[in-house]
Amino acid sequence: MLTKMTARFAVLAVALAAIAIPAITHAQATDEGAELPDYSRKGADTCFQCHDDQATLAVFRTKHAMPQDPNSPFGHGQLQCEACHGPAGDHAGRVRRGQERPAILAFGSMSTTSIADQNAYCAACHDADTGFAWHGSAHDDNTVACSDCHTMHNERDPVLATSTQAEVCFDCHQQQRTQSMKPYAHPVRQGKMACTSCHSPHGDTTERLLAGSTVNGTCYDCHAELRGPYLWEHAPVTEDCNSCHNPHGSTQPGMLSMRAPMLCQSCHSQDGHPSVPQDAGGLASNIPSALLLGQSCLNCHDQVHGSNHPSGSKLMR
Amino acid sequence: MLKRTMKTGRTLVAPLILLAPAISLAQVDTSDWTCESCPFEQGYRAEIDAGATNVSDEAARFGNYTGYDEDGAYADVDGHGSYVNDGYRLDWTVEDLGLDSRVVELSMGKQGVFEFRAGYRELPFRRFDTSSTIFSRAADGTLTLPAGWIPASTTNQMTQLGSSLQQRVVGTDRQIVDVGADWKPAEMFRLFADFRRQTRDGIDISSAGSYTQAAFLPRWVDHETDQVDAGVQYRSDAVSLTLAYYGSFFTNQNPSLTWETPFLTVPGATTLRAAREPDNDFSQISLAGKYRMAAGNTVVAFLVASGRGEQNADFVPYTINPDVVTTALPGTSLDAEVNTVNYSFTVTSRPISKLRVKYGYRYDERDNKTPISDWDRVIVDALSSGEIEQNVPYSYDRAHMTVSGEYAFTNKFRLAAGYEWKQINRDYQEVAEQTTELGWGQVRWRPTTWLDLRAKGGASRRGIDRYNETTAISLGQNPLMRKYNLAYRYREFGEVVAAISPAELPLSFSTSVLFADDDYQESLVGLNGAEEFRITADLSWAVSDNASIYLVYGQDKIDAHQTGAEQFGFWDWSAFHEDDFDHVGVGMSWRPTDGKFDFSLDYNRGNGETRIALDSLSGGPSSLPDLESTLDSANVKASYAFSERWSGTFHLRYERFELKDWALVSQTTLPTILTLGAQPYDYDVYAVGIGIRYRFGDGEITLAE
Repeated sequence: MLTKMTARFAVLAVALAAIAIPAITHAQATDEGAELPDYSRKGADTCFQCHDDQATLAVFRTKHAMPQDPNSPFGHGQLQCEACHGPAGDHAGRVRRGQERPAILAFGSMSTTSIADQNAYCAACHDADTGFAWHGSAHDDNTVACSDCHTMHNERDPVLATSTQAEVCFDCHQQQRTQSMKPYAHPVRQGKMACTSCHSPHGDTTERLLAGSTVNGTCYDCHAELRGPYLWEHAPVTEDCNSCHNPHGSTQPGMLSMRAPMLCQSCHSQDGHPSVPQDAGGLASNIPSALLLGQSCLNCHDQVHGSNHPSGSKLMR
Repeated sequence: MLKRTMKTGRTLVAPLILLAPAISLAQVDTSDWTCESCPFEQGYRAEIDAGATNVSDEAARFGNYTGYDEDGAYADVDGHGSYVNDGYRLDWTVEDLGLDSRVVELSMGKQGVFEFRAGYRELPFRRFDTSSTIFSRAADGTLTLPAGWIPASTTNQMTQLGSSLQQRVVGTDRQIVDVGADWKPAEMFRLFADFRRQTRDGIDISSAGSYTQAAFLPRWVDHETDQVDAGVQYRSDAVSLTLAYYGSFFTNQNPSLTWETPFLTVPGATTLRAAREPDNDFSQISLAGKYRMAAGNTVVAFLVASGRGEQNADFVPYTINPDVVTTALPGTSLDAEVNTVNYSFTVTSRPISKLRVKYGYRYDERDNKTPISDWDRVIVDALSSGEIEQNVPYSYDRAHMTVSGEYAFTNKFRLAAGYEWKQINRDYQEVAEQTTELGWGQVRWRPTTWLDLRAKGGASRRGIDRYNETTAISLGQNPLMRKYNLAYRYREFGEVVAAISPAELPLSFSTSVLFADDDYQESLVGLNGAEEFRITADLSWAVSDNASIYLVYGQDKIDAHQTGAEQFGFWDWSAFHEDDFDHVGVGMSWRPTDGKFDFSLDYNRGNGETRIALDSLSGGPSSLPDLESTLDSANVKASYAFSERWSGTFHLRYERFELKDWALVSQTTLPTILTLGAQPYDYDVYAVGIGIRYRFGDGEITLAE
């Protein structure tokens, strides 16, 4: 088993190795004399001789087609359509009868271009926009294409709107779609909360691509009242909200991972009422039990997230 | 123009295309690229929907997050638009203006130079409308009993209860205002700042004890949180650095809750007080960056963040009962402080084209510097326990290392494997050091262009240095208890994903199966095991260019098994908790060729079932009634364009929800707990709306002459 110190040394060792090896291979791979590709004669004017449908032209209602922005694909001196679709000289040129027209770089599921190469085109301009941790993120590891989530020619990209974003994410994250339909869930299915409220799809160094520094740091963004620190803390609460909650949805009230009192009894076994099994004998039709019905343990220990009362050690006040 | 040296053919074109992102613009002669036909956007354009919706019935849960919580008519206004002029751009969106879930968003600026954005969003949270209470709220915030209330020992002895109950909807409203700006003073720098204020007000439920009884209280909530994000970003081809500040400032206008107890209690304890969420501040400075080396072969990313949380809200007294004698409080406030440190380092490299390796290390620390003091314990304003207690400021640090690699044997076949190591150190808890090691492997195979298969599996072992039973006993715990977040655990997991999309058919299908099996082998009391099993399936069919159909299915099963001990020394009861959920969704969209008619239909059904069975030495086998939920939800949307600018719209939203939950009981069911009597959800609501849509500005995009 590694110790923490060993792991820290391993950080340096792997970092050095990772820096050294590619530096060598890059020196070998760089070829200053490489021939430049062939671009079209007139840029977009060439493309629109064929591609004049509304779906294509809709790009002019997006930020990609702002001529006054020098960094826009249609900015002065930029490569217009070919900024994203690559050099189209051969694609736009003459072809012999029966000969297949050479392809240009296309995006989407039917593209023959590798996803890494598709993404390289986007990253040429948006590398810094995607944050510092795209490389090696879960989406990068699973070869997700930018175009899997983004629709560049649409006036309104669905993944950028809170009300429509989840449907895009659910195309791949089908299990989360199921969970979002559970009776107690964040308002994702209602279109009132975006997946990006909690997650950074372009990468983060946290587990699960969380937007905050930690799980709790992410939750506190909306639930700041629970941050504390409280005088009387509940130990697992300070460490990980997921200890008790399923944030993607649950069949239990409060998005709890299990029904109380069983959830509480997974940790609490003190002599007396915490260790008593709560069975059907405590139902309303038998001898109603305050430890089972209502809010169960929370009937009295309401302040499970912590208490700031000087006498609140039992999280009751 | 560049030399036309490329031969035709996809295989020859591709390599040079892929050089293009790195090509300097100066290398391409674009002097003839005048873009004469480009229909650049200029002027305004907008689309506004206005109409009315009628909701058939009143149901808090139907209005939860949507705003349709009452029956009757609602005004619906939605829209979006833009104005573009000479590089300046303004975009705006409004949603649900007539509802408590309204959204307004605006952004404007000169693209590539600066942007200003502002937004306002409301989010209604509606919990119960079947709840009722005897409490009223006085001007000073105290929850008071009805005039002439006669306290009783049990709820069924409260003779005025039935006549004193008043309906009280439980729910809160969240309002979020945000403003922000971006500015690029130079090509390589970007400054950004965002401010967000969230307020939340309304009524929530609190339950509070009064010695041997408790009452559910309607608690008035009035929270406000201000958040600031600001920073500067530097970016070049190889380096990106972001220095940022994050601040969160929470204030609670109701930091305590005072109420008159309806129960008979000890003298002087007729009015009780609890503390509520204290004001808190948190500030964090972070520096994040990445360095791209060797033309993308290696990327090094890092993050360093340091934060401080403070909480110094005034204490409420030990008790408001003048008959209870206490020592003086150690201070007027806690002067609590938590310092956080987060840092991470990731290297991703592709030393050869077929191999990709990744190394990551992350460290998180929560160092609770709150002073430890002695505190009296007064039991619910009734009596002093005579005990002196010390507060426990929990701290932890967590290190997480990952190493993984993927090798592409061919374009169709890849193997990946990884190892993770995580260590958590805690103080004041039963386990001081906990180490988890995880190994996994993954195969990805694309035997054809239309089939993509992925299988992943692995195992992890979470070990502990020792479970300190002395600490457990000092906390009053059974020494056999192993808290599930601290206990030894062995986990196995696996996932298979398949995606099928035959090019010759307008169909695509994907499915996934996941399982995870947790075994807490060393836990005699506590959680013994848990299994999770999930299935999903998605089918979509493009029936024609104008119509499509989809069908989705999902199943989620979570089972848990635990043991308990009424008598210290051995476990004498067990519980099985089985949680099943199924979801089916089906839908279609249809837009005939002329583009005038647009129709979509979505239907979802969700079924939840929780089965709990117990077996104890004292009571024998017993099963609680199943907890069940059934949701049927349908949405129909249609529009018809009467002209280029005018359209008529129609929408129908239907929802049926039924919940069976034995925990929701009336005010008199529990002798010692006065509940709010909220009933399980059971509603059937239609919301039908019609409206008109008007489009401003150009519709069809035509190439410039």
